[in-house]
Amino acid sequence: TAAAQSVKWDMPIAYPAGNFHTANILMFAKDVERATGGKLSITVHENGSLFKAPEIKRAVQSGQAQIGEVLISNFSNENPLFGIDSIPFLATSYGDARKLWQASRPAVEAALDKQGLKVLYAVPWPPQGIFSAKPIESAADLRGAKWRAYNPNTSRIAQLVGAQPVTIQAAELTQALTTGAVNAFMTSGATGYDSKVWEQVKYYYDVAAWLPKNVVFVSKRAFDALDKPTQQALLKTAADAEARGWRESEEKTAWYLEQLRKNGMTVSKGSPQLQADLRKIGETMIEEWTRQAGAEGAAVLAIYRK
Amino acid sequence: MDLLITGVLIGALLLLLAAGVWIGLALIGVAWIGMALFTQRSVGDAMALTIWGSASSWTLTALPLFIWMGEILFRTRLSEDLFRGLAPWLQRLPGRLLHTNILGSTLFAAVSGSSAATCATVGKMTLPELQRRGYPDALSLGTLAGASTLGLLIPPSIIMIVYGVTAEVSIARLFVAGIVPGLLLAGLFMGYVIVWSLLHPQAIPPEGERPTLADKLRASRHLLPVLLLIGGVLGTIYTGIATATEAAAVGVVGALLIAAAQRALTWATLRDSLLGAVRLYCMIALILAGAAFLTLAMGYLGLPRHVAAWIGSLGLEPWQLIAALTLFFIVLGCFLDGISIVVLTMGVLLPTVQAAGLDLIWFGIFIVIVVEMAQITPPVGFNLFVLQGMTGRQVTELARHAAPMFVIMVLAVVLLTAFPELVTWLPQRMAG
Amino acid sequence: MKALNRLFDLAAWLAAGFLIGTLAMVLLGIAGRLWPALALPGSDAYAGYCMAAAAFLALAPTLRRGEHIRVMLVLQRLPVPARRAVELAVHAVGLALAGGLAWFSLRLVWQSHAFHDISTGLDATPLWIPQLGMAAGTVLLVLALAVQFVEHLRGQPAPAAPGDEPARIE
Ligand code: NA
Ligand code: NA
Repeated sequence: TAAAQSVKWDMPIAYPAGNFHTANILMFAKDVERATGGKLSITVHENGSLFKAPEIKRAVQSGQAQIGEVLISNFSNENPLFGIDSIPFLATSYGDARKLWQASRPAVEAALDKQGLKVLYAVPWPPQGIFSAKPIESAADLRGAKWRAYNPNTSRIAQLVGAQPVTIQAAELTQALTTGAVNAFMTSGATGYDSKVWEQVKYYYDVAAWLPKNVVFVSKRAFDALDKPTQQALLKTAADAEARGWRESEEKTAWYLEQLRKNGMTVSKGSPQLQADLRKIGETMIEEWTRQAGAEGAAVLAIYRK
Repeated sequence: MDLLITGVLIGALLLLLAAGVWIGLALIGVAWIGMALFTQRSVGDAMALTIWGSASSWTLTALPLFIWMGEILFRTRLSEDLFRGLAPWLQRLPGRLLHTNILGSTLFAAVSGSSAATCATVGKMTLPELQRRGYPDALSLGTLAGASTLGLLIPPSIIMIVYGVTAEVSIARLFVAGIVPGLLLAGLFMGYVIVWSLLHPQAIPPEGERPTLADKLRASRHLLPVLLLIGGVLGTIYTGIATATEAAAVGVVGALLIAAAQRALTWATLRDSLLGAVRLYCMIALILAGAAFLTLAMGYLGLPRHVAAWIGSLGLEPWQLIAALTLFFIVLGCFLDGISIVVLTMGVLLPTVQAAGLDLIWFGIFIVIVVEMAQITPPVGFNLFVLQGMTGRQVTELARHAAPMFVIMVLAVVLLTAFPELVTWLPQRMAG
Repeated sequence: MKALNRLFDLAAWLAAGFLIGTLAMVLLGIAGRLWPALALPGSDAYAGYCMAAAAFLALAPTLRRGEHIRVMLVLQRLPVPARRAVELAVHAVGLALAGGLAWFSLRLVWQSHAFHDISTGLDATPLWIPQLGMAAGTVLLVLALAVQFVEHLRGQPAPAAPGDEPARIE
């Protein structure tokens, strides 16, 4: 077409260069440039170097960046649907997580569409487990534990197991673990590996509570300004990145756990008692979420459970 | 193209600053010019969002609180006591009480994670006292500007957390790795004061009668409040009661307690300390706002990224790489603050650094020291700004006073490059 | 002018109040870990909001006392008429820049409201509320710069930093 000039997009993301999400995005950006014959080029600004994690969505919404990546459940305050992938024990395997994403994608896309954002793809983090300074046999062992709460969900879990929710910023987690201000928290084995958590805690319970996702979205205005072939190429590349990301995430899960073990951590699935206790908490929270998310949420859950 | 952009931006910055535009607004102006001329992005909304994000970030709360703590302590007898307690001990050391700046900064660095807070708090206590006693301004201002940058190198340290997260190295190890270089740097600063004083014996105020050991010990009781305060703050950090950021609030409470114990806690003290702290913080905050926006503009323009990539492509030997990076960071540090430097360049530089076989913990300490230099280089140096806010001296004069400290930091980089064990030995002793 | 100066003083007091608020929120964070009954979810975010409000509300009074730092080397060496011209130009540039900051701070509030932007932390605060402090403070800064511009125009700039308290160490 006539408007076949090169378009340059900025892509702020929150995670550092070594992370597998970031690697996938860098590959995606390269593929986009190749697939569009250089008509669209994306500059990836990793590690919050352009906008910090909480600002990225807003930056794309208001046109300061054209494309961005966020941990979608961070925005569950805005809309409970964004937090559907972080309900504990709703979807605990890659298969279920995929099903849940397929079930929830139309609703999440519609919600983001209203905000001027178009979803390109989503990639899950490895399953979330419990890091603990001391061994845990059942949920009762978590009573009184200093449990890091960084969003409404993790805070609620703490309440339900009788732990004390503690607010500690990610930047201060290491020190808080060293001094005992925090002695239990939930995250993925990947994050535990990235932050070398074995220097402070020795136990990891791979209970696979949920698989949170990073969603890559583009400003609708920026997308609509592209010509048709470029749009097609972008969507195709995004689909490839999604497939690659899911594969990568799943393959790396075992590797991360192996690294935790190699560094002297005790890694286990958790005792049957612990799993049963946590499942019960999961049921409570699914119920609470459904109440919060109303008919729309219930509909998504119904599709997922079909 | 990059050369043109750099030229235009530096020219604009120097022009705005020389004309007397307020520094924070000048930075906003330069960032605005850069984005408006050389990018297609909408400038204003991005500016507001970024400035809001940086002005309301949790980790920054330590800065205004430590500044308030300094304003309270300034209105107590604490600094007088500090000098009375230290004077007999430092009597025979060439430079005498000039060392209070360095000792005070080193101690306070163990409490505070930022260099501006260290500078403001220690300066509030030492500068009036040193001036009253007739110590040369050039030395008291210079050593304070330099030594207070130790706030970054001696743990806890905000910049180390930023680097640790970026480079995926253990923050605990980085903290431990900073101790020896921090003490080394403090020792070098003290060495400079000693040499200078031996060369200019008449410039140091004369000593009183020679104190006996009993005198020294008796005078040391005056140090009790300072030690209690620092011990209390450190204690809450290392027992896990407070995080490094929250320690500032503990410090404010401790300062209020000291003021109460000395019967200095009046309505006037409280009011003046609050209003004084708010204005000093606000002055710094406007500059931080400008710096945050300039960082954003640099992110869009990609200048630091391009230079970092270019350096990476040269295929240098490790020592050449370190020399080139030192130069690069010194230039960058004239215009940007430390955290921005790390965030803007690490993504591109780390692969190069790893390929050159440099230890990432070592490299982190290297980065912290070059960022320390950035605090005292004009035109944009935060410790210089803090000192200008406190003394009314011009940045250019302050930078001149601080220049010897800058040279010492370069020397420290050379030493750490020649003897990397200074950095790596202690963290390797850590368990795990 | 008198009324405006009183307004700036009021802003300084509000800022001081918000600094106390910052302290209170951080202390509450510590206390909440020691005694869970005192825990206030989101206290860390509130501390950040208080700090931002303190900084922005203090902009105007700090300017009025001449405590926003600037490089005076060139200005000090100019003869009086030239100095006045440069001061006017500098204030005009300052007005433009501060005006931009204020305008886009107002837009930030408005957009946060329009987008229903909510804090992602435990506090779940609608962000336009704490951002009001930034908007108000930057608008006051524009006012303060305008006042000073007029003072320079009339050739009667206010003396910098009235010495009624030891805000500086000199
Ligand atoms: Na420190
Ligand atoms: Na500098």
